[in-house]
Amino acid sequence: MTGVQPQLAELDTDALEVGTTATSADGGRARVPWRYLGRRAAFYLFTLWAAITINFFLRRMMKGDAVSQYLSRNRNVSPEAADALRTLLGLDSDKSLLEQYLDYWVLLAQGDLGISLLHGLRPVTEVVSGALPWTIGLVGVATIFSFAIGTVGGAVVGWRRGSRADALIPITTFLSTIPYFWLGLLAIAVFSVNLGWFPIGKAYGVGMRPGWNAEFIGQVLHHGALPIATIVVASLGGWMLGMRNMMLTVLDEDYITVAQAKGMPNQRVLWGYAARNAVLPQIQSFALSIGFIVGGSIVMEMVFSYPGIGKLLLDATNAKDYALMQGVFLVITISVLVANILADIVYAFLDPRTRQAGV
Amino acid sequence: MKLRRSLIAVGAIAALSAAVVAGCAPSEGGGDGDGDTSSPGVALTIAKPDGAITTESHNPYLGDSSASKYGYAKVIFEPLALVNPTGDLGTTPWLAESVEWNEDYTELTVVPRSGVQWSDGTEFTGDDIVFTFDQFLNGTLTDTSGLNYEGASVDGDEITLSFADSKYTAQSRVLHTPIVPQHIWENIEDPNTDPLTGEGMAVGTGPYVLDVWSTESVTLTANESYWGGELAVPQLNYISYGDNAALTTALVSGEADWAQAFIPQIESSYLAADENNHFLVSSTAGAGTVFFNLQTKPFNDLAMRQALAWVIDRQAYVDIAREGASEPIWSVTGLGTLLEGEILPQYADQSYAVDVDKARQILTDAGYTWENESLIDPDGEAVSFSISVPAGWSDWNTEQALIAEELKEALGIEVRVDQPDWGGWDMARQEGDFQAIIHWLEDTGNAYGLYTSTMDPKWIVDDRAQFNFGRFEDPAVTEALNGYANAASDEDRQQALEVLQTAFVENVPAIPLGAHPLLGEYNTRNYVGFPTEEDQYASADPTQPAIVQILTNLEPAS
Repeated sequence: MTGVQPQLAELDTDALEVGTTATSADGGRARVPWRYLGRRAAFYLFTLWAAITINFFLRRMMKGDAVSQYLSRNRNVSPEAADALRTLLGLDSDKSLLEQYLDYWVLLAQGDLGISLLHGLRPVTEVVSGALPWTIGLVGVATIFSFAIGTVGGAVVGWRRGSRADALIPITTFLSTIPYFWLGLLAIAVFSVNLGWFPIGKAYGVGMRPGWNAEFIGQVLHHGALPIATIVVASLGGWMLGMRNMMLTVLDEDYITVAQAKGMPNQRVLWGYAARNAVLPQIQSFALSIGFIVGGSIVMEMVFSYPGIGKLLLDATNAKDYALMQGVFLVITISVLVANILADIVYAFLDPRTRQAGV
Repeated sequence: MKLRRSLIAVGAIAALSAAVVAGCAPSEGGGDGDGDTSSPGVALTIAKPDGAITTESHNPYLGDSSASKYGYAKVIFEPLALVNPTGDLGTTPWLAESVEWNEDYTELTVVPRSGVQWSDGTEFTGDDIVFTFDQFLNGTLTDTSGLNYEGASVDGDEITLSFADSKYTAQSRVLHTPIVPQHIWENIEDPNTDPLTGEGMAVGTGPYVLDVWSTESVTLTANESYWGGELAVPQLNYISYGDNAALTTALVSGEADWAQAFIPQIESSYLAADENNHFLVSSTAGAGTVFFNLQTKPFNDLAMRQALAWVIDRQAYVDIAREGASEPIWSVTGLGTLLEGEILPQYADQSYAVDVDKARQILTDAGYTWENESLIDPDGEAVSFSISVPAGWSDWNTEQALIAEELKEALGIEVRVDQPDWGGWDMARQEGDFQAIIHWLEDTGNAYGLYTSTMDPKWIVDDRAQFNFGRFEDPAVTEALNGYANAASDEDRQQALEVLQTAFVENVPAIPLGAHPLLGEYNTRNYVGFPTEEDQYASADPTQPAIVQILTNLEPAS
């Protein structure tokens, strides 16, 4: 925002100024679009129910058995003890599918996600909460960096179309086509092993006690730098290309020509008019990608030995650890839905056109 | 099996990246690694490739607790005795001063070691041993080892533990049971699942005590009052890396010291990096084995199985599929060199070899013919079958391809290579819905393991097989198997063994390829005294119970 109307909040801008065709629907103050939000809420509730139900039934369609998996992981356990094990792991239930389904909802409502076979029979909530902060922290920060750098960069490149800055697009696109594990291994070989600037992996050093002190935080930042940098490098291309392409479209609009014809400073045309409109689809994608942050990055976690949800889900799937799988899917489902809701709301406020149909 | 799962692609990258690393060694131990200065008293770092282990549980009875996954349960809680899975297969008394089985192996008499303290200062007594085993009796602890323990009697120093059946084939399951302190465990509500994370809960007699547990690593320090004497290594670090590639990088750079992993091209990627790096392969009584479905064509025909036994190249399995980390099994009895002593005199000189003419002769005699170089069975159908191994078990996936190639070339059999996901494979092997699979054996430390795994109907419950996937059944053999397991004397056992070995030689129910190895990568920069090729007092695998024996044996490198 530039300082045209310093007293007003961002949402109160005049429809004309942001280049919409809506001329009368919105007055000076933005209304809360209740009907629109209500319809969306109903839709999301339905989606949530469907996702959880599919989640419940999906795992029962998978082949294989948790106990024989457990036996093949732990050869010191006698296969003759399979029945005892089934009881121990709580898999001896002979309830009908419907009963199990209802039980599942009751337990879910109490916040009980069951116990994880793969993690020493600890509650799923404990297992997930042990890995989730690392994923959100690392992938989240990397996504924000990538979005910010890519969007600003894309805007500048789009504005200066035809200049040498255009070369950034093929370069970043090329970088994002490199398989991520290769990029990660290369980064480790160069920066960790050869130059010794960064540790080889892990979230913090050996023997470190986690705590809110400078040493621990310093270690976390030091260990996180390389994974974050590689994720940003690998994902920058998409953001930059998307923003630059939208910029090219917006720059051809009449209101840009008008603004420039009026003699408005280039900086203001760029950020206040062109970029502001071009960024709308970017924000949508950003909100969606927030939902996927929680899914983690399996390859990053493996290459950098970083704790996180991705590997947790992979191992749970391999080991038929259904409770943990369901728990992780639930977290992912909910966060994708929440991100969608956020995207809807933000969009509804930023772009009045989206809520016009409901008015 | 975990280790086999690394994808071939990842393996290739491991080799590549390690080559990059090796090219620029010696580095100074990436970042904050602290195990690289060669002065005595530095920590020893034990590594695994299992990804971050973010849930804390020190329970030694739980296969998937963090203590079991890392393996640090083995240095906190000690067993009564250590049974060597390799070398001389001998038993070393540990927390017991002596262990002795009765004639038919249904009773174990132990004398608890005196002068041993729990790491919280309480004295260790025979009561702790009785308490540990009694947990199985009163049901507070699930009997996952199938011990069928019946109770203990105490006579002075001697404690006698009784079992419902002979433990001859399960000695290590009994002896390796972790002994826990009664004064702590009697207050634990559910010993099956308790994580022991409370203050003063993770107490054992072992050489190391827990210091710091975090999601990134676990640190243990030497137990000052350890009964086994002074320990050379003051601190153990356990780390779990994301995968084999990351683990290899850490081992090469010196950030990690000791691991058990299948590293592709280990010679160039690990051993060449430093002359102090060592790799020890210890054969065990188990083996990677081709199981046939004896109920369906083509393997319901003995001639077919015999012909395969004369064609499949076990040396190629060891050299190519296992990259040297195994030992070929050629004896017609299916027993490897470790169990040579159990091979009957009449079979001592009888070994398979790759002999295509012989295989073709066997098939010809059984009525098989060839048409355009493809094998036709007596019914007039072309012979083909599929061999199945889960995708991603790279060594056995390679062996599938090798077998397909060998059989196509030598006998004109069309072999389909099938690589399902674990779930599909698991289902098929249990339900007998396969033609051939490669599988491991139950390791009992003697010949019984092979024969029960391949010929014993006891593994088939509710029509689902845990072993004997081909569903071999012969009353005389079943009787001999039970006879061997429950024999009252060595003579009886020898008699049963004769029946078993003869049945295996005559029926060829399965083809063992190469011994299942325990692997260990370690370096001797700071400490020496690890097991070596010449002195395999234990395997070099840090996740095995014998790690306590190795740790007490280590000395600073001069």
